[in-house]
Amino acid sequence: MVRAEVVIDEEQCQGCGYCVKFCPRGCIVIAGDKFTPQGYLLPSFVKPDECNTCGFCAMLCPRAAIEVYLNISSEVPV
Amino acid sequence: MSEEAKVVTKQRVAGRPKLLVRQTAGFVYCPGCHEPITARAIAEVLEEAGMGDRTIGVFDIGCSSFLLGLLDIDAVLTPHGRPPDMATAVKRIYPDNIVFTVQGDGGLLSIGADPLLGALTRAEKITIIMLNNAVYGTTGGQMAPTSLVGQKTTTTPQGRDVIRTGFPTHAAEMISTFKGTAYSARGAFNNPYNYERTRGYIKTAFQKQMDKVGLSFVEILCACPANWRLSPEDSLKWIEEKMLPEFPLGEFKSVDKIE
Repeated sequence: MVRAEVVIDEEQCQGCGYCVKFCPRGCIVIAGDKFTPQGYLLPSFVKPDECNTCGFCAMLCPRAAIEVYLNISSEVPV
Repeated sequence: MSEEAKVVTKQRVAGRPKLLVRQTAGFVYCPGCHEPITARAIAEVLEEAGMGDRTIGVFDIGCSSFLLGLLDIDAVLTPHGRPPDMATAVKRIYPDNIVFTVQGDGGLLSIGADPLLGALTRAEKITIIMLNNAVYGTTGGQMAPTSLVGQKTTTTPQGRDVIRTGFPTHAAEMISTFKGTAYSARGAFNNPYNYERTRGYIKTAFQKQMDKVGLSFVEILCACPANWRLSPEDSLKWIEEKMLPEFPLGEFKSVDKIE
């Protein structure tokens, strides 16, 4: 079960790399093989298990292109 | 015997504030620019206070004028350097609304110094947010009043010379000496801690205005990677190493009543 999810809006991203810089656990990387429609380098979310949903990537994204979600799974009797 | 099923709830932790417009066409800021982060901080503060529909922004000519298209609030665009005058008029017509101006360092400290002094002298109940990026951003990186000593710009290719062009202006300290000022602070967006701190300054500045104390002022150190000729990451380092020793962060004046 993936706990955290970081969704990057490809059309808004400008590839500045602030999300990569400010992620304290190195969950986001710019590998250099993916590009946005405008031609900027696109970062990708690679370590869903290590993300603690601090939201620093979303906080300092100049284009507000990042949304962070937390998946809470609970077991309920049917 | 009971069976158990997994229910997954998806909770949104962080993302775009509602007052921040998702631009699909038109002007967009350069990659790594801090001015849209300013828009985000303002949007978050207004959304938190529920004041989005009771806020009027007054914008200046320059890169800061494009905040007009980013924020989903009522706005006025003024001639260059005149937002304090326009904000005075707007605030006197709508005394219960939040009226704030967003100006660059050139628009406030060189061409707009006279309207600023007028507003300070009259102790107008407005908020001025100044974006300090140490150059003129829109026109191509000329020397600004806030350029650092020795900084290379297009008009000072040998570095800013003290004898010919003088020293940088410290707006937050200067404005804190006026009697009409209720609040004066300087923030930055170079790391998450400073972002939270600066958002707090903007919130306090709006609060002082709503309490009808006096003029509130927030200066924000912004990165301009395009005109500094640096990568976005190096420009953060440049703020840390060069700008912060010259422009220390913090609150310089915060009073509840002006006498």
